[in-house]
Amino acid sequence: MIVLTLIGPQGGRLLAGEPMLEGWVTKLADMPWSIELHESLYMYAITESTHVIAIMLFVGTIAMVDLRLLDISFRRVPVSQMLAKMLPWTIAGFVVLTITGAMLFMAIPVRTYHSLWFRLKCIMILIAAVNIAIFTFKVERDKAAWDLGPVPRKSKICAAISLSAWMCVIVFGRLIAYNWFDCDNINSATMLQLTGCPADAG
Amino acid sequence: MSLYHTAQSIEASALGQTIRESTWLFPAIESTHLLALALLGGAVLIISLSVLGVGLKASAAEIYKGARRYMDAAVITLLISGVLLGVSEPVKLYDRQAFWVKMISMVIAIALTYFAFNPMVRRGSTGLRVRSVTLLTMAAWLMVAIAGRWIGFS
Repeated sequence: MIVLTLIGPQGGRLLAGEPMLEGWVTKLADMPWSIELHESLYMYAITESTHVIAIMLFVGTIAMVDLRLLDISFRRVPVSQMLAKMLPWTIAGFVVLTITGAMLFMAIPVRTYHSLWFRLKCIMILIAAVNIAIFTFKVERDKAAWDLGPVPRKSKICAAISLSAWMCVIVFGRLIAYNWFDCDNINSATMLQLTGCPADAG
Repeated sequence: MSLYHTAQSIEASALGQTIRESTWLFPAIESTHLLALALLGGAVLIISLSVLGVGLKASAAEIYKGARRYMDAAVITLLISGVLLGVSEPVKLYDRQAFWVKMISMVIAIALTYFAFNPMVRRGSTGLRVRSVTLLTMAAWLMVAIAGRWIGFS
């Protein structure tokens, strides 16, 4: 939703839908279950731990597939088999990451929404998603021809983009916890614009 | 010198101070730790799934040959980054139960991986024994990850 509204500067904001989204996350923060999740030590900790475990499943399996697509490892395993056998585990990881990620966002909606790292993470997820779409609908269509042979360049490029994008997602995700660029710590016009923070907060 | 005093002197060390006083070092090391964790997850999983008969059709020994270097790279990176994180706040860690749970499960996980799981998979073992060892190894690493995340909460 946030990324869909990323359609260029309007009214001095990078996100055209900023006022609408701002109202939405503010309302979310007042929901009783958002407050409960935020204040519950165990539920929040369990959710975050599950999120980390799911990273091992999701990014771990993606990394193995990408290493195959880069023609670096598992070269005697057919590409089609690598994709088919790893995908269920990647999807399982994705489902858990989405649910726990949504819960973590709902526990701290306003701060996370304005977090520069969260926004960068969303952009990286978007890049990774577009890359997956390009790979699925274009690059891998003729994979029968290179199932065991040399992997074409287009496929290696997709794998390299995938690896870098998901690594960025992990790092940016981890950095959300740090308050360097929180609304009350910034005052440059550029940073205010990037984070969508109200100008009077700093 | 007691363990607690050792923790205090590590905390006072130049390396500990440098990491603790820098804005970026701790988060950077932490991120590296997390990236290596994902790599370890992938390497252990791709071998394990094959052992358990739900993964790639190639033999587990064959998959092991491809994945072993990532497993080693991940474990070494985790150990180095983990030590650096620990050096920056050893007194806090000394008091955290989760830290000791993590250390014990880590020793178990490394021992299981390098003295049972890896040798058995390399030999091409099949059957209940290697499957049990696989499940135990996965459970041990899972425990390490959960206890590790929990250090931040307890």
